[in-house]
Amino acid sequence: MNRKTFLRSAMAMAIVGAMAGTTVVQAQGKQEPIRIGAIYLMSGSAAMYGKFAQQGIQQAIDEINAAGGVLGRPLQVMMEDSQGKAATAIQAARKLVYQDKADVLMGLDSSGVAQGLVPVLPELRKPFIITHAATPDVTGKLCNKYTYRVSVNVHQNMNSAAEVAAKTGKKRWTTIGPDYAFGHQSWEFFGKYLKEKMPDAELMKEVAFPRFGAEDFTPFIDSVMASKPDGVLISVWGGDMVNFVRQANNRGFFDQDFEVLFTVGAATEVLTALGDQLPEGVWVGTRYWYGAHDNDLNKKFVADYKQRYNAPPSYNAEGAYVAVYAYKAAIEKAGKVDGDAIAAALKGLEINAPTGALKFREGDNQALIGPTWGKTGPMNNEDKIRSLTEMVTFDGQKITPPVDPECKL
Amino acid sequence: MGSLGLALLDSLDIGLLLFIIAVGLNIVFGVLNVINFAHGALYMLGAYLAFSCINGLGMPFWLTLLVAPLGVAVLAVLVDRLMLRFVYQREVTDSLLLTFALLLILNESVRMIWGTGIHVVEPPELLRGTVNLPGGIRYPLYSLFVILAGGIVLFGLWFLFNKTRAGKIMRAAALDRDMAQVLCINTRLVITGVFAFGAWLAAVGGVVAAPMRAIDPGMGDKIIIESFIVVVIGGLGSFPGALLGAIVLGLIHGLGGRFLPEINLMLPFVGMAIVLLLKPHGLLGRRASL
Repeated sequence: MNRKTFLRSAMAMAIVGAMAGTTVVQAQGKQEPIRIGAIYLMSGSAAMYGKFAQQGIQQAIDEINAAGGVLGRPLQVMMEDSQGKAATAIQAARKLVYQDKADVLMGLDSSGVAQGLVPVLPELRKPFIITHAATPDVTGKLCNKYTYRVSVNVHQNMNSAAEVAAKTGKKRWTTIGPDYAFGHQSWEFFGKYLKEKMPDAELMKEVAFPRFGAEDFTPFIDSVMASKPDGVLISVWGGDMVNFVRQANNRGFFDQDFEVLFTVGAATEVLTALGDQLPEGVWVGTRYWYGAHDNDLNKKFVADYKQRYNAPPSYNAEGAYVAVYAYKAAIEKAGKVDGDAIAAALKGLEINAPTGALKFREGDNQALIGPTWGKTGPMNNEDKIRSLTEMVTFDGQKITPPVDPECKL
Repeated sequence: MGSLGLALLDSLDIGLLLFIIAVGLNIVFGVLNVINFAHGALYMLGAYLAFSCINGLGMPFWLTLLVAPLGVAVLAVLVDRLMLRFVYQREVTDSLLLTFALLLILNESVRMIWGTGIHVVEPPELLRGTVNLPGGIRYPLYSLFVILAGGIVLFGLWFLFNKTRAGKIMRAAALDRDMAQVLCINTRLVITGVFAFGAWLAAVGGVVAAPMRAIDPGMGDKIIIESFIVVVIGGLGSFPGALLGAIVLGLIHGLGGRFLPEINLMLPFVGMAIVLLLKPHGLLGRRASL
């Protein structure tokens, strides 16, 4: 083939391609997709959390699109990386809304990021469903009419943790947590709820807050072991928790006779990595445990998820999955795709989720749901992670404290 | 007493691992005048290769300790020949940009090859469990091994730089590259060799760290910050400086985490700021040519 004929055929191909392209665009022109902008941790130590969220979103979108979409339009997701930094997440949110024309937003893994981004949302005039970040501030003093949370917050989780702790009968408690909002608030509220349930409980002065992303936890592990507590509340998560557990194992931390509670320890992202290195008999909490809910929706969600991704869904996957369905319900209720209208439609909305019926409370837009806590048991050889025993799922209606008076919607 | 001893051992454990990594950064800067931003990524690559060798291929830990760093060193030779050699004659900022690009490429490659998940490697059978030390201290065997490994690297480097011809050539090239060339030293070979050696040290650090740390896509970025603090405290381009800086940072983490947990977050930066105020080139540093 000489150069001329090559060019000619290339041109012909380009024209055919372009025409094919236009027909596709025209076909979709009638049903412009509804765009969901999602901001998660996609890089760094906790990148796995973002990946699971993305998988949960994709599963929900594929199911909804296969059933005809929302208002006859297909859903589409655009993912952005928060890098765990508030400034980056704010940039990402602006890009999603102003440049990529996102209709609704969701995401957020870190409380620190959520505290930075939530006050910016009224400027963007798009609803935002938080699916992981747990700081009570975003449904408390920072709350606004665009911000909703479908996942368990620190209040709900710590109220439940205190109940688990009180049942163990142990009195002297200390903590190891990451040195930012999440670690400090977890300890603060755990103490408050534990004192309510067990007035003679002692909250120790010796507490440890290592840096988030610390490589070495050994000095903190040593100091907690030396202070001889009865129980330890540990809220390190992600790669930090993997680091922590291995170094703690090395030092015989789990052989001591204190109780250990990992506040978000039953994240399948972490349990899969740790395998049998996380010992049996440790209390772990989670916003959602795939084996805890005996209903048809959950069974179908878990079975389909396992088939698609060859792993059980984590709480982050479930939260993201539910948020997409919450948007579907809200958009259908609003009857149009407009930021303010969808935000208003989410108010007080009740939907069916794998955890059962789920309702956004009108006072602060927090979903009334409870965490699942359990003790690590023998390895589940099918899913290659620890099983949970003595599992309790707490009732969101009962464990959620009243609306924070500082939240005025 | 026991708790102080324990905190000091922790400091050595943290500090000497940092030394293995940061000294590579320093040697590369000393000889090549390149601040290698991708040094942390090379450390991460060492740890991921260790994961693949041990968990994937079933290789013993000790063999992995030989193989994985060599693999990273070979990659470093390619990087030097294909990328870095074009910027050696330019300003430091150009090589900074280039190694930053290399960091991004390595980070994304690791994510493409190994995914975003967190991986773990078991310590070798010989080094599991704890031992009783004098003073009633129970200490993990593996942490003692890390301290020993740091000591071996320290002695090996001292021997290399002071007692061997190769080490003297490296020092000569660091002092005056043109003069060394005039004296019939093949400086091109020295440069490639030193860059690969720096990468090898980073990867040794990665393999040694693998059995006690989470192997995840963020581990390189974390260690490069620590390594920079080490070289800022100790002095850029100085071999004893890397040791001193690593020990100081190890003590800051070890004692600070143990006895001043409320302010442990800011301690490394306070230490760095104090050193910069009093000795702008680091405790043992020479004037950088930035």
